[in-house]
Amino acid sequence: MTPVHFTFSSAFLLGLTGLTFHRTHLLSALLCLEGMMLSLFIALSLWALQLSSISFSASPLLLLAFSACEASAGLALLVATARTHGSDRLQTLNLLQC
Amino acid sequence: MLSTPLTMSSSLILVLLLLLYPVLTTLNPNPQEDTWALLKVKTAVKMAFFISLLPLFLLLNEGAETIVTNWNWANTLTFDINISFKFDHYSTIFTPIALYVTWSILEFASWYMHADPSMNRFFKYLLIFLIAMIILVTANNMFQLFIGWEGVGIMSFLLIGWWYGRADANTAALQAVLYNRVGDIGLIFAMAWMAMNTNSWEMQQMFATAKDLDLTFPLIGFIVAATGKSAQFGLHPWLPSAMEGPTPVSALLHSSTMVVAGIFLLIRMSPLMENNQTALTTCLCLGALTTVFTATCALTQNDIKKIVAFSTSSQLGLMMVTIGLNQPQLAFLHICTHAFFKAMLFLCSGSIIHSLNDEQDIRKMGGMHHLTPLTSSCLTIGSLALTGTPFLAGFFSKDAIIEALNTSHLNAWALTMTLLATSFTAVYSLRVVFFVSMGHPRFSPLSPINENNPAVINPIKRLAWGSIIAGFLITSNILPLKTPIMTMPPLLKLAALIVTILGLILALELASLTNKQFKPTPQLTPHHFSNMLGFFPAVIHRLIPKLGLILGQAVASQTIDQTWLEKVGPKAVASLNIPLITTISNTQRGMIKTYLTLFLLTLTLAILLLTI
Repeated sequence: MTPVHFTFSSAFLLGLTGLTFHRTHLLSALLCLEGMMLSLFIALSLWALQLSSISFSASPLLLLAFSACEASAGLALLVATARTHGSDRLQTLNLLQC
Repeated sequence: MLSTPLTMSSSLILVLLLLLYPVLTTLNPNPQEDTWALLKVKTAVKMAFFISLLPLFLLLNEGAETIVTNWNWANTLTFDINISFKFDHYSTIFTPIALYVTWSILEFASWYMHADPSMNRFFKYLLIFLIAMIILVTANNMFQLFIGWEGVGIMSFLLIGWWYGRADANTAALQAVLYNRVGDIGLIFAMAWMAMNTNSWEMQQMFATAKDLDLTFPLIGFIVAATGKSAQFGLHPWLPSAMEGPTPVSALLHSSTMVVAGIFLLIRMSPLMENNQTALTTCLCLGALTTVFTATCALTQNDIKKIVAFSTSSQLGLMMVTIGLNQPQLAFLHICTHAFFKAMLFLCSGSIIHSLNDEQDIRKMGGMHHLTPLTSSCLTIGSLALTGTPFLAGFFSKDAIIEALNTSHLNAWALTMTLLATSFTAVYSLRVVFFVSMGHPRFSPLSPINENNPAVINPIKRLAWGSIIAGFLITSNILPLKTPIMTMPPLLKLAALIVTILGLILALELASLTNKQFKPTPQLTPHHFSNMLGFFPAVIHRLIPKLGLILGQAVASQTIDQTWLEKVGPKAVASLNIPLITTISNTQRGMIKTYLTLFLLTLTLAILLLTI
């Protein structure tokens, strides 16, 4: 694949790895999620530029809007976790443990 | 004409019936009168002795031997068991001697046990023992011999444990039974071999058909049986422990009659043993080891009865050596002469023990020669006969054995050990006489010393006469079956006498050292070895049960119960499954991280699989 293709694919995968393997804080998962969104934004932008499709060039901004909503939802969850469990440490998120 | 066989068979059967009659009268549920023991039992034995002299005289006069087959007890198509009595020269000579000795011992026991409330039962046990012993020596087939063999073993158990309130007596009785049982394994093995290979237990058929067979196995079985019953080395500790029984028991069973049963068995089987060099060498070496080991142990014992018990064991070893030399008749001669002086030694010990208020330690006796002159004189006569003083009873048998030993081409170690044991015999005999009769008294003054009762004196006197003349009488009337070697170098001829005198002088020197002190501290290691019986009982009596218990624990408890019935069975299901369950449960705790990790892994895997 082309270097640009490789760059944003690896950025996405690194972000995904960071999301799954986060160790201590929930905030780091959310940051990785934002990183994934950023890489997707770059991917969509480049896609519209490469394929020269005019009608598709609004998609990055749509993605950005939706990622903002999603980020705010994640932050709300973080605040709720901090409010109920005292911190955002993942060791406290074991209520479903059998 | 026909009178000789008739007389012999009827008188010998009559002897057995006479001995059985007092026992049968005790089946009456009413208790017997107090004088039953003295009247019935002793009279029966005395009459039986006099009646048994008749076949003895017929044997001496005409050489008559007889075999009486009474009853066909059990038969299959191929195998018969009969009741048959063999009155050959061995049993015809032994029976009057056994009855004479028993008569004396019973009379002595009526004095020794007169304070015992169950004296009647004691006499009944002694009588049953005597009957079993006579069944043993007159048996013509192995089944009857086995009946007698077991009978004497059981009566030995009952009589050793006569004072059953004493824990040591019970232990000793149990020891006797267990060691005898180990010997019985050999006997039963030999009987089974005979039944299989010679198809009979009758001695005549056994001897005739076993001529061409390889007899090593049954002979080793008979030797093991003799080791158990006659206290040879390896199965010997029961004999000194058996001194827990009353002195009449020690005198009858464990000196004259029961312990010679093993040797007697080997004498009976001597036609089979003649050609088997392995068995003969085994007997020789086992006997030599026994005689020297037990003589060593006798040197430092302090209980008078134990010294005499070890002396018995040593003489039994000597008899075994004689059988190993292929001289069964000499062994039988030694059995007969040994019965007299050994029983007398025990009776003298019993008289001294009772006179000193039940004191058995020779270190607390002394000076008895002035206080009980007859008893100590007979003790001296018995000891002299034991050491083989020329022309007393023991000389004829012991000197003949040692001459045969010195002129045979056999194991030199066995010869040396036997001569060493002969000198030790002189040493411990002198030790007994020195500590008991010589010197000053070492006991308290108020002892009930009594030699006035004829029930004590007459038996000892009778046996003293026997100890003096029995050897001479027997050897002048019985023809030897094997030619003895009459010419040998003078040193060999006098060897027994020289080692005995050397031992005597050495013992006198040692005895004179009792009030001198040459070293500041004594060197105790050899003394401890001898005093603790070579540590044989101390080691073996704990090791063997411990090994048995460990084996039991390993097999029953650990192998079967714990392993097969628990770990391999029900618990295996649990123990195999629980680790698996734990591992799975750990990943399924509902943690988000696990979930997300699995998501990533699945994604990676899918991408790789789709692109490759």
